[in-house]
Amino acid sequence: MKKRWIAAMLTGAMVLSVTACGGSDSAGGGEAPAAAQNDAGSSDAAEAPSEAAGPVELVVTTTFAGEDGNAQNYKDAVAAWEAETGNAIVDTSATADETFKTRVITDFETGSEPDVLFFFNGADSNSFIEAGKVVSIDEIRTEFPEYASNMNDDLIADSLVDGKKYAVPVSGYWEAMFVNTEVLDAAGVSVPGADYTMDQFKEDCAKIKEAGYTPIAAALGNIPHYWWEFAIFNNQSPETHLEVPADISDENGKAWVAGMNDIKELYELGCFPENTLSATDDETFAMFTDGKAAFLIDGSWKVGGIVSACQSDPEDPSTLDAEKLAHFDVTYVPGKGSRKATDLVGGLSSGYFITRQAWEDPEKKAAAVNFVEYMTSDDVVSVFAQHTASALKDAPEVDEAQFNALQVKAMDMMSGVTSLTGAVQDLFMGDCRVSTFDGMPEIVTGRVSAQDAVAEGLEMYQNQ
Amino acid sequence: MGANIYRNKKPAFVFLVPAFLFMVVFLYYPFVKNIFNSFMEIKRLGSAGTGFHTPWYSNYVEMFHDQNVWTAVRNTIVMMIVTLVGQVGIAIVLALMVDNIGRGKQFFRTVFFFPIVISATALGLMFNLIFLYDKGMINQILEALGKQNLTDWKAEGIALVTMMLPVMWQYVGFYFVILVTGLNNISDELYEAARIDGATRLQIVRYISVPLLHNVICTCSVLAVTGALKVFDLPWVMFPKGMPLKTTFLTGTYMYYQTMETKNVDYGAALAVLIVVLGVILSKVVNWIFREKDY
Repeated sequence: MKKRWIAAMLTGAMVLSVTACGGSDSAGGGEAPAAAQNDAGSSDAAEAPSEAAGPVELVVTTTFAGEDGNAQNYKDAVAAWEAETGNAIVDTSATADETFKTRVITDFETGSEPDVLFFFNGADSNSFIEAGKVVSIDEIRTEFPEYASNMNDDLIADSLVDGKKYAVPVSGYWEAMFVNTEVLDAAGVSVPGADYTMDQFKEDCAKIKEAGYTPIAAALGNIPHYWWEFAIFNNQSPETHLEVPADISDENGKAWVAGMNDIKELYELGCFPENTLSATDDETFAMFTDGKAAFLIDGSWKVGGIVSACQSDPEDPSTLDAEKLAHFDVTYVPGKGSRKATDLVGGLSSGYFITRQAWEDPEKKAAAVNFVEYMTSDDVVSVFAQHTASALKDAPEVDEAQFNALQVKAMDMMSGVTSLTGAVQDLFMGDCRVSTFDGMPEIVTGRVSAQDAVAEGLEMYQNQ
Repeated sequence: MGANIYRNKKPAFVFLVPAFLFMVVFLYYPFVKNIFNSFMEIKRLGSAGTGFHTPWYSNYVEMFHDQNVWTAVRNTIVMMIVTLVGQVGIAIVLALMVDNIGRGKQFFRTVFFFPIVISATALGLMFNLIFLYDKGMINQILEALGKQNLTDWKAEGIALVTMMLPVMWQYVGFYFVILVTGLNNISDELYEAARIDGATRLQIVRYISVPLLHNVICTCSVLAVTGALKVFDLPWVMFPKGMPLKTTFLTGTYMYYQTMETKNVDYGAALAVLIVVLGVILSKVVNWIFREKDY
């Protein structure tokens, strides 16, 4: 009998402890009904925006991390905002890759989205805009009329979902061709200029290969994205590049197939590294910075990566080896047909979103707006934009003295650009990409024809 | 009354309920839901299905036509054989050798067991450096020995070997420790009697150690084969997306690739079902082959 009592008491204690755990939740959420009421009565809160009473903690996620050239600028700006306002930022930034995009989209799907995010404004943001989980700039301006008023609205991208503007941009991006001049000198090849063609490029690649170097630093089995974009662009024009083909039989469809075959030709000519199908992007980038490969097509963010590679301490700019950095230049991507070498891919593809969750939280609303206003102020944007474009109405004068040699070369290169067109891969999202992105090794080795791979992707795109 | 308390099993059931509920919520419900999801059309991770596929079993039909599934299943079976021969086989040899030395047993136990405590992701990164094409450790050694060209250890023909070597190496120590413990349980009197009868060391191993280790070897074999079905992290770190040319997929890495990389969530769910079915069948087969004997 005594043992039965002990068993009953133990059971009771367990049940109580479980209840207590639940109780603490409900205690924590004891204010939930009130919060829920606030949520439900968000229109009331919206009518009377007020500054938060005490310090506010905002969860912010951005792509300013890793090798991004603005990673340190972002940290500095956040620290300055925190010091100025007394608020705190929980930073969940990460390198902008497919894993990051998946994480952000999944966070929205599961209701654990950040308060503010710096994210892509193309098709990547469609899902959470469709779900009404972010607030449009116009809606924010109904309560905060000065919000993003320093930006030229015409340059802020419209959502593909409803045509509204959601993301306040900071800086633009461009994609161009970086060159290692040490390799070019050794091969007797001059730095390509504004009238560079694909035929000249192939001749130069042959010379570079003959000199014992790898012409193109690219990991086709890992990140074929840049070559994919420009190979297709080379068979189109800036006017038609952003049209996703209906199928492979229309003009754009044929251009896509021709683009894939162009990459295959370069692969067969031996222009890519020997291990291009098994290497990672980091490995081929190291080949480029170590003076073993001549050309690298990449984005404006790679300026920071190359500069870091020229520092003995990647975190400390004072350790920069200026002599090594002088061996790098950035120029135009070889042109073909209707696309001139100076027609580049670029634009303002990202911006700061404020989530509905933060907007409807009376404690966070003003802080979130204030944070985005700070991060998109003229002073901060001019630091972030550097050699890229911005949407500022009155961009401050840029003091070139603060830039390193490669940034200056990038600004020179940008001054000669004849057009900047968005990336069609930003519209061609999801599993439709798989057959030509992940399938690039099969295409270049001839195991899958370019026609079949493109047709498969387009069919998936049309069925989305 | 006092004796009856031992017959009353109700309190035991009461204490089993929380663990049971935990398993239901975190294992069996997701498992059943996953089967359901494999018939649905799911566009994004975290979102609900928009309806059933037409026909509802289309993911399973696609699986039969998907060359990568066959590659993944084949590689997984190869991985099982490799773990069986490479991990358990090498562990047996090492255990028998260590059992025959006088001093330093503890030292070798620690040395061989050590890789187990290192995270598989860290090991993957380390082996990436070892097998790196340019400036990798092996290629540098070969270069120093006079080899002219660099070897791509992750190229199509050799990638599977490069992937399986570290996996094999990592777990040898685990089975080694189990087997050494098994050897320690064999009575010294048997060895002594054999020696008095004039048996050589090889005969002692052949007729005493190995037969008496049979059940332990069976347990290790079952663990190795079922463990091979779950290998994921090290291969994924070294060969993401089945690189090169999708030749290094295992069932686990292919399921992850479909779910997380291509966002084909429902197909990923169907692949998860395939993994469970394969796991159950292969576990049964292995249990039958390596069933324990009574001595």
